[in-house]
Amino acid sequence: MRQLIVSVVCITLLVPFALLAQEPPKKPETQQPMGGASTGAPATYTSRRTAGITDPSAPVIFEDVTDKTPLASFRNRSGEAAKDYIFETPSGGVAIFDYDSDGRPDIYLVNGSTIPAMRGKEKAPRAALYRNLGNWKFEDVTEKAGVANERWGMSVAVGDYNNDGRPDMFVGNFGVSRLYRNNGDGTFTDVADKLGVARKGWSTGASWGDYDGDGRLDLFVPGYVQIDLAHLPPSPSEVNKPGGVGQNYCQFRGAPVMCGPRGLTGESDTLYHQKPDGTFEDVSVKAGVSDPEKFYGFSSAFVHVNDDKLLDLIVVNDSTPKQLYINKGNGTFEEIGYPSGVALNENGREQAGMGLAVGDYDNDGRVDFHITNFSDDSNTLYHNDGDDNFTDVTFQAGLGEVSIPFLGWGTSFVDFDNDGWLDLFVVNGHVYPAVDAHQWGTSYAQQALLFRNLKGKFERVGAPPGNALANAWPGRGLAVGDLDGDGRLDLVINNLDAKPVVLRNVAATSGHWLGLRLIGDVSKKSPRDAIGSTAYVTTGVVRQRQDVLSGAVFCSQNDMTLHFGLGAATKIDKLEIKWPDGSVESFDVPGVDKVITITEGKGKL
Amino acid sequence: MKRSLTLFFLIAALLLAAGSAVAQEQGTVLAGAELTRVVPNSFYFQGLSAPTQMRNAAAARFGKDRYVISGLVDTSGYSADVRAKYVGFLITDSPITLNGESLQPGAYGFGFANEGKLTVLDLSGKDLMSVAITNDKDLKRPRPLMMTADAKGVRLYNGKNYVVIAAQ
Repeated sequence: MRQLIVSVVCITLLVPFALLAQEPPKKPETQQPMGGASTGAPATYTSRRTAGITDPSAPVIFEDVTDKTPLASFRNRSGEAAKDYIFETPSGGVAIFDYDSDGRPDIYLVNGSTIPAMRGKEKAPRAALYRNLGNWKFEDVTEKAGVANERWGMSVAVGDYNNDGRPDMFVGNFGVSRLYRNNGDGTFTDVADKLGVARKGWSTGASWGDYDGDGRLDLFVPGYVQIDLAHLPPSPSEVNKPGGVGQNYCQFRGAPVMCGPRGLTGESDTLYHQKPDGTFEDVSVKAGVSDPEKFYGFSSAFVHVNDDKLLDLIVVNDSTPKQLYINKGNGTFEEIGYPSGVALNENGREQAGMGLAVGDYDNDGRVDFHITNFSDDSNTLYHNDGDDNFTDVTFQAGLGEVSIPFLGWGTSFVDFDNDGWLDLFVVNGHVYPAVDAHQWGTSYAQQALLFRNLKGKFERVGAPPGNALANAWPGRGLAVGDLDGDGRLDLVINNLDAKPVVLRNVAATSGHWLGLRLIGDVSKKSPRDAIGSTAYVTTGVVRQRQDVLSGAVFCSQNDMTLHFGLGAATKIDKLEIKWPDGSVESFDVPGVDKVITITEGKGKL
Repeated sequence: MKRSLTLFFLIAALLLAAGSAVAQEQGTVLAGAELTRVVPNSFYFQGLSAPTQMRNAAAARFGKDRYVISGLVDTSGYSADVRAKYVGFLITDSPITLNGESLQPGAYGFGFANEGKLTVLDLSGKDLMSVAITNDKDLKRPRPLMMTADAKGVRLYNGKNYVVIAAQ
């Protein structure tokens, strides 16, 4: 008996220790690389995977009509082809907006520059504004409008900051940025210095939004990297030269490439609050959005993440965590990137965030985010679960594996077939010319990606041979708008060191649609251009949401006319507008397949 | 029978005391000023000092004054070869175990070049030991590097993968 008791006691007491000493055997998983921009696995491929991929059975969705327009003569120029420096690689953005209020959306193309131009030794490249004359005819009005910029342009964000009914442009530069006030007579005046938004440094994808509800638009501008042209970072051409950088300093898969952003000092972000007198003050620190850690900011958007009437803010950073700022309603924000799930991907990795698409892809009433990233990493789709929580659903949604070889830039949700479900477009292109000299499974110029939304899951729409989507471009900026008023959304892409691309939507299977132009009531403290408004359109059991946004995409601006695909529906069951001041109005919509203008407080269309 | 019961209670008391001792060795994960006070701004490894990613640094205290500190570093200045094996540092001022394997006081680099394992390196880049990592598939909000409390010490996480650090 004694022996039995002792044995039981010993076994009973030793078992927990045995359990403590041994971890249960678990299947080892593939280790994800750490950090942000992937340097890539040392694999060799027989295919580029990012160019020349066609599908003879794919439908024709877009037609390249660039050469039928004067945009064909535009050339983005951003430094030298060798891309020795990081600031030569991201330019630039594009905007679709109706600057002359004639009902036809116009196009503004940002241009880069060169080091000699920055030093005053050669003529600077010019940005360009094209007036839409209808029927795919455009007129270059850059000279008359006075918007050539002639600085190293990166981004454009549209907002009617002075509530005069005419859209203005903030052009973010590597250098001193500009605010082009729309004079209403076809001309613009740079008032950045006068109004206090002549931001210096490296300004990227800005966003307008009235974060404090005073009816005046404020401006957020991310900063990227600190660069001193008098003391440039090491370049690949200096590798192994006496006194130059070491062989190992800045490499991609062992090949010398331009340095950064890792290893270079980042730049803080700036929030400009508009005062009653129309000038702006830097409230970044006070508001809690200054980015003291100096993450490498690329894209941003003021957007309603939750159901309150306060505009929140998302910032996409390269190689560092993304930031999600929740508006506390007292002039300050709380940064919840980590707890919300937006800062990192599902594996807890920082990614090299570039572009940002904002939209309710699953029609659950909440905005979701799609972020483009570096090659050898997937893009990321964050589903908004509510209560300020997001889940990375990239692979479940079908957007993971296919995006890995691509280096993504501009991205936007766009219902190209008007079926009532937001599809997705992604512009791609690598930053290292060296990738074309190796079989690394990627390429410098890359095809764009189009995904059809199958009620919350995505499938890639292939490129028919010879079609626009079969072409590879060094893509950067992207803007969406219905350029010809036919109810099908068209695209403009700004390509690095190349001509832009204008893609006309010619989809044969296209549903009904509705366009909404919203006008806020300034007397009720809504910005006149209605940035921060949300429209809900119900047809049958589907309730869609669209937000009036400034910025996002990648350094670019989509047309602010809200576009709803309606599928087979010929009647809107319900249209609700939540205005920036928080008030909600419902409207009866007489018919579909047209653009209607809604003014806050009018009560009817 | 009386002797047996006495022996039972004696063993139970001893083991409870031992268990208590184990519980006392559970690490305290540091935060805020206590964390920034101990984490170095940069770390020397294989011929270069690289800046610490302070957002991806963590530390734990064992007992009153024994510390384990870890952080990811900005490896952009290293060659691809080094970057492939080295991502961060581990500093301990007292003997510890990693998943039960002993590690003496010192400063080390670590990385994940061996699939499914965390490899500890000396400051010249030489492999010292590799321990299997455990995947915590239920972890909701993984981070590039963090520590959390564990019954045996602390868990050092890289994403959803972790090893257990215990005081010796």
